[in-house]
Amino acid sequence: MAGRRALKAVLIDLSGTLHIEDTAVPGAQEALNRLRQASVAVKFVTNTTKESKRNLLERLQNLNFDLQEKEIFTSLSAARSLLEQRQHRPLLLVEDSALEDFTGIDTSEPNAIVIGLAPDHFNYQTLNKAFRMILDGAPLIAIHKARYYKRKDGLALGPGPFVTGLEYATDCKATVVGKPEKTFFTQALSDLGCCPDEAVMIGDDARDDVGGAQNAGMLGILVRTGKYREGDENKISPPPHLTCDSFPDAVEHILKNLL
Amino acid sequence: MAAGGWPDCVQSLKGVILDMCGVLYDSGEGDGVAIPGSVEAVKRLKASNLQLRFCTNETQASREKFVAKLQRLGFDISVCEVFSPAPAAVSVLKHRGLRPHLLVHDGLLPEFDGVDKTNPNCVIIGDAAENFSYQNLNDAFRVLIGLEKPVLFSLGQGRYYKETDGLKLDVGVYMKALEYACDLEAEVIGKPSAAFFNSVLSDMGIQPQEALMIGDDLVNDVGGAQRCGMKGVQVRTGKYRPSDEKHPTVTADGTVDDLARAVDTILNQRGQ
Repeated sequence: MAGRRALKAVLIDLSGTLHIEDTAVPGAQEALNRLRQASVAVKFVTNTTKESKRNLLERLQNLNFDLQEKEIFTSLSAARSLLEQRQHRPLLLVEDSALEDFTGIDTSEPNAIVIGLAPDHFNYQTLNKAFRMILDGAPLIAIHKARYYKRKDGLALGPGPFVTGLEYATDCKATVVGKPEKTFFTQALSDLGCCPDEAVMIGDDARDDVGGAQNAGMLGILVRTGKYREGDENKISPPPHLTCDSFPDAVEHILKNLL
Repeated sequence: MAAGGWPDCVQSLKGVILDMCGVLYDSGEGDGVAIPGSVEAVKRLKASNLQLRFCTNETQASREKFVAKLQRLGFDISVCEVFSPAPAAVSVLKHRGLRPHLLVHDGLLPEFDGVDKTNPNCVIIGDAAENFSYQNLNDAFRVLIGLEKPVLFSLGQGRYYKETDGLKLDVGVYMKALEYACDLEAEVIGKPSAAFFNSVLSDMGIQPQEALMIGDDLVNDVGGAQRCGMKGVQVRTGKYRPSDEKHPTVTADGTVDDLARAVDTILNQRGQ
C-alpha cells in the first residue's frame, strides 16, 4: 500500500479467529508458527470482562498454539493500564475470575469505578453505591459496552446497559477501554515500539476488530470464521483491507504482500 | 411580568393540578411530614370555585395506599382526584390489547390485579427499587428481545430521588438500560408525558390554557405542563434547587416559596 511503512506487528483476535469454543480453526497453529518465523511482532488481543490472561493462555495452549502470557492484551489489561496511568483506586465491578488481572492495584478507599460483566454486582444496592461515587466525582471506566451476550440458557444482558444507565443517572460519559476504542489498539502496540501504520489486525468482528483497528490507523483483515456473517465486510467504511476465508489465508496474505 | 403571565393568568383559571411529593409533603420515615401550610392550602382550594386534581409519579405503592397515607397526614383528598402512572398504564394496556410483563415495586402490584399477564407482549417498568436485580432486569430484557415488535413502558423517567439514607436510582436509569440493550425507545407514562397531563385535563373537562400546574420538579412538572399549553408554577420546597431559576431550557411562569403562598396569590387575585 502506497505510503505505508514496513509492517512491524500483527494483532490477532482469539475467539472466532484462532478458535471456535474448544476447536482450533483448521491450520491456525501452523499458520501462527509461519508468522512467527517472519520478522514481525505478534500480539493476541481480545475483549473479555471475566477471563484472566492466565485462563486464556491455558485454553490456547491446550489447543497447541505457541504463545506466552505477555503476548496477550485484553480489555482487562487496558483497564489496568488506564488505572495505573491515572493512579486511580478502583471499585472493581467485575467477576471474581477477572480479579487476578488487577493483582497489586490499590483498591482501598476507591475513587473510580471499573465496570465489566458482573451479574453478581448488578444489584440495586451496589449500583446505588457506584452512582453516588460517580456523583462525587469518581470516573466511570467500562471494560466494554456490549448490549448482551449468548449464554447456554439464552441471551443475557451485557455490561453496556448498566453503563448506559449510570451515564444517564449521573449525566456523565464512561471511558470505554476495550475494542473498538482507538486507545485499546494503541496501548496494545505501545510496548512493541511500533506505530499503528506499521501494524495489521486480524479478526472476525467487522466493527470491533477491523473497523476499530482501521480507525486507529492500522490495516484490518476480516476472516470469515466465528461470528462472521455474509456481508459483514460492507458494514464498515472504509471496507476491510482484506476479507479472507480464515486465519491461515490472512497469514499467507501478510507474508506475501505486507512484508 | 407580561399580561397573561403569573399571577395575572389566574383570573381565567378553571382548574389547578398539584404535584404531591415535595409540594404537599416530604417523604421520609413512616408517612413523612406535611409541608407547613399545605393541608390548609388544599382545603382552601377545594372551597373555591376551582377544580382540583393531584398528579404524581409515585409508583412504589397503589393509589389506595398512597392516598390513605396522605389522609393520615391530614389532607382532604380522595382516590378519584389522584392521577398516577399505574392506572394510566392499565388504561393504555386495555386500549391497545397488550399483556404486560411487570418489573415494578411489590407495593404497586395490586394496581395490575385485573390485568391479563399471560404470554406477555410488552414490558412495564416502574420504580422497582430492590426488585431491580440483574435477574429481574434480564427477565424483562428477554421478554422484549423475544418480541417481534418490542414495547417498553416506563412509569416516569426520573434519574434519582432523595430518601433519608441518601440518593437512590430511579426508574429512568433502568429504562435507559433496557432501551440500550434492545435498541428501542420506551414510551413514558406519567409526568412529563402530554398524554398523562391531557387525561387530567379531560377529567376536569377544561382546556390547557384554563389550567395551572404547581410542582417542585422544574422539568417534569413545570416543563411538562407548559408543553401541554398549561401554566406551570414551581414551589421552593421538595427537590427545588436555586439553580432551577436559571435553567437553560425551562422557565417557570412563577416561582413561589411554598404551596400556601401559591394558593394565597391565586385566591387573592380572584378576589376570593
